[in-house]
Amino acid sequence: MTTKSDHELVPVHELMSEKEVKTLLDSMGMTLEGLPKIFDTDPQAVKLGAKTGQVIKIYRREGKREIPYYRVVVEG
Amino acid sequence: MQTEVIESIKFGIVSPDDAKKISVVKLTVPDTYNEDGYPIEGGLLDQRMGVIDPGLLCKTCGARAKSCPGHFGRIELVRPVLHSEFSKIVYMILQSTCKSCHKLLLSDEHIDEYKNALAKLDKVEEVATEAIEEKVEAGSLPMLKRLKNMKKCERCGTPKGKLKFSAPTYFYVDDYKLKPDEIRDLLAAISVEDLGVLGVDSIASRPEWLVLSVLLVPPVNVRPSITLESGERSEDDLTHKLVDIMRINLRLEQNLNAGAPQIIIDDLWELLQYHVTTYFNNETASIPPARHRSGRALKTLAQRLKGKEGRFRYNLSGKRVNYSARTVISVDPNINLDEVGVPLEIASKLTVPFYVTMWNLEKAKELLLRTEYPMIINVISKDGKRKRVIDLNREELIKDLQPGDVMERQLMDGDVTLFNRQPSLHRVSIMSHKAKVLSGRTFRMNYCVTPPYNADFDGDEMNLHVPQNLEAQAEASYLMSPQYQIFSPRDGDAIITNNEDGITGMYLMTKEDNYLTKEQAVYMLSIAKVYELPEPTKDGLYRGRDIFSVLLPKGLNFTGKSAKSPFVIKDGKLVNGVVTKETFGRGDNKLLVKIGKDYGYEVLKEFIFKSAKVADAYVTLMGVTVGVKEYTTSSKLEVERVRLLQETFGKIEALISQYKTRKLEPLIGYTLRQSLERMIIAELNLVRDKAGETLLRYETSEDNAAVEMTRSGSRGSVLNIEQMTMFLGQQATLSGGRIKRGYYTNRVLPHIEPGDVRPGARGFVATSYYSGLAPTDLFMHAVGSRSSEVYKALLTARSGYLYRRLSNALQDYCVDSDYSVRDANNNLIQTVYGGDMVNPIFVQFQKLDAEEKE
Repeated sequence: MTTKSDHELVPVHELMSEKEVKTLLDSMGMTLEGLPKIFDTDPQAVKLGAKTGQVIKIYRREGKREIPYYRVVVEG
Repeated sequence: MQTEVIESIKFGIVSPDDAKKISVVKLTVPDTYNEDGYPIEGGLLDQRMGVIDPGLLCKTCGARAKSCPGHFGRIELVRPVLHSEFSKIVYMILQSTCKSCHKLLLSDEHIDEYKNALAKLDKVEEVATEAIEEKVEAGSLPMLKRLKNMKKCERCGTPKGKLKFSAPTYFYVDDYKLKPDEIRDLLAAISVEDLGVLGVDSIASRPEWLVLSVLLVPPVNVRPSITLESGERSEDDLTHKLVDIMRINLRLEQNLNAGAPQIIIDDLWELLQYHVTTYFNNETASIPPARHRSGRALKTLAQRLKGKEGRFRYNLSGKRVNYSARTVISVDPNINLDEVGVPLEIASKLTVPFYVTMWNLEKAKELLLRTEYPMIINVISKDGKRKRVIDLNREELIKDLQPGDVMERQLMDGDVTLFNRQPSLHRVSIMSHKAKVLSGRTFRMNYCVTPPYNADFDGDEMNLHVPQNLEAQAEASYLMSPQYQIFSPRDGDAIITNNEDGITGMYLMTKEDNYLTKEQAVYMLSIAKVYELPEPTKDGLYRGRDIFSVLLPKGLNFTGKSAKSPFVIKDGKLVNGVVTKETFGRGDNKLLVKIGKDYGYEVLKEFIFKSAKVADAYVTLMGVTVGVKEYTTSSKLEVERVRLLQETFGKIEALISQYKTRKLEPLIGYTLRQSLERMIIAELNLVRDKAGETLLRYETSEDNAAVEMTRSGSRGSVLNIEQMTMFLGQQATLSGGRIKRGYYTNRVLPHIEPGDVRPGARGFVATSYYSGLAPTDLFMHAVGSRSSEVYKALLTARSGYLYRRLSNALQDYCVDSDYSVRDANNNLIQTVYGGDMVNPIFVQFQKLDAEEKE
């Protein structure tokens, strides 16, 4: 079945590993709380089976470039 | 020092006992000074409440006027009165409680219902206003409403009686007027639990304390008396009011002791109530304000705090700064973009610190010796003592001057200042300009820097600030200088460019066959301080475009747009094209962008300044002006105008008859009538465009200054000229449609047939400003003007506030060193700034010319 989250306009969502998250936060010099948030009830979070505290990497197209955005999963 | 974090603050009401504890003196005499001019003991200026005369000692704390914080006194009222500002709460409580059993009118079960409803909402921990509002909506309001409408007590069955409240302080039960002491007794009998249900915290605020029996009197330094020049004492309004209160209080006491009849007692009691009410708020509704002997209304407590001139908005939110000046602005094209002309009068008041060191000590002493304009105003010695330089102490100050001292010098040419025009919506609303001291009384600025400030010279005023340390000066002169602000961070367009005459002049000068004499060329270039002439032609004349080329940086290569042909600069020389607004102006690939990126901002600033000056000089030489001549129609054009209009009106008549016979083909998605309207509007728009084309076709002459200005892009559009020479065209309402109502519902004026949709009946004006408007046309024009004026006012107010909210919400965002966007708490907003790490200021578009590449 085709769902909304399969639509071509929905950017690629990817669950990050704990190690990746640590590297990311260290390189950015920030804590998990500083990241933008995403509800665990969000269709994409549900699809990935993301749990509170995990980080989802979203590849968004801006112009001709694909830029990663990060969102920390929070209780919805 | 031990510090603690304040967790919360609780406000409550001062009880009579508290008032007695807080106050240091009981006031008994309703007067201020005795015959010797000495404060009366027990009077309103009793020295135990603090002193205001310097030198005197406070009788309570022993401190002098400066350090004594002031102490409260009290007036003990012989009969209590209501606090008018709280009478609504008293009303609410009286309404909800029983007169005989002093409990809430509701039974326990009913109370529990509401309590439970509130408790549920209490679980939401947020203290946000929405949460509180929700609580009120869901629990408190329905309960209060129910209590209000109850007829008798659910507990003891006593009828409630008809309770009436008459603002500000009168309460009646079944037409019997409740006296304040009776109200106090009623309130005092209510239990803590019942008050809790009503939302009253009875530990901090017992309701009976709202009935005043002890009145706190603010310290004298809150209401200082002023000594007039004549030696006469003038008292503060609050003191006057307190005297009134005490006088009536005393009279009431005497009458009570003498056993006067009840009616006299009641009268005086009511008078006391009036004075106390106006003491708190002299603008209490339905009460005449207490007046001064002169007839001026007294300014009492509420008036001190309220409104624009009140304590909050005037003193607490409104702060003022030193080292600043404000005056009217006016133009001076001879002043550079990064300069500001400062009147001598202002320059001699504003100061800049001069740091005395061992190396400039001699120079400093020399400066200190001066007694006229660039002189020293203050000397701040190492230990921070500030001394004003006067003739008497100058010698001494010079002797004592040593490295490490700071002198405050008058503002001089070249000093860094910040120049600002409100509203400061922009970063470019405040820029740094170097001072240039001039005669006159206005700030002078170059007209090329008006766009960032959105300033004009019809009476605008601007502010000037002087940074007071080297770091601030350096920061201002680099980051905020106009040359670094030429390009907008929004889209990289130039905000500061040549404009007005600066374009007209360039346009006229760089025309193909424009030649100037040597005198003219030398005059124009010397005004811009360019001492270099281009190569003359064989006849010893100078081409206008060669003069422009002299201003260009050496070796510049550029291709851009121009009026007809491409605009080409080769090796610093203009070889083809005319300068127009397009050439300089906004958008991609413009001359200013090219110069700025290739030669730097300093060169660009000088180019703008000099080219504007040369252009001004050219316009002055040639005398560019517009008069009636510019807007006079030729007979040929008039014929063309009539023909165009007749043609359009004919087409519209045809459309109307098609509509009437139902032969009109409707547009998709529109009714027949809507289609007709749209088709008519389309025709009218078409004729407007056609008229513009015709105008340009007929006005080919280069003598018409108005048309030339339009061509150069400096001022005016084709539509402007068209409206003056041909016809005004359709007058629109704010909804964008044609005017259709005004006289009753479906016609604009009484002589028009209802439902007439022909152009003239719906606001199409076929006459021009030059020919004069027919009376009906004038009316239509006025309708259009009015609606656009109203719309403009609404739009600016709305969009202004919208922008304010937006910019306040985004103001702490900044680009981090890793190009991510962060807010003030280091939260991530965007991983990569703008998605491309590009700062629009530094963007330059480049066209690759395949041929040139070879």
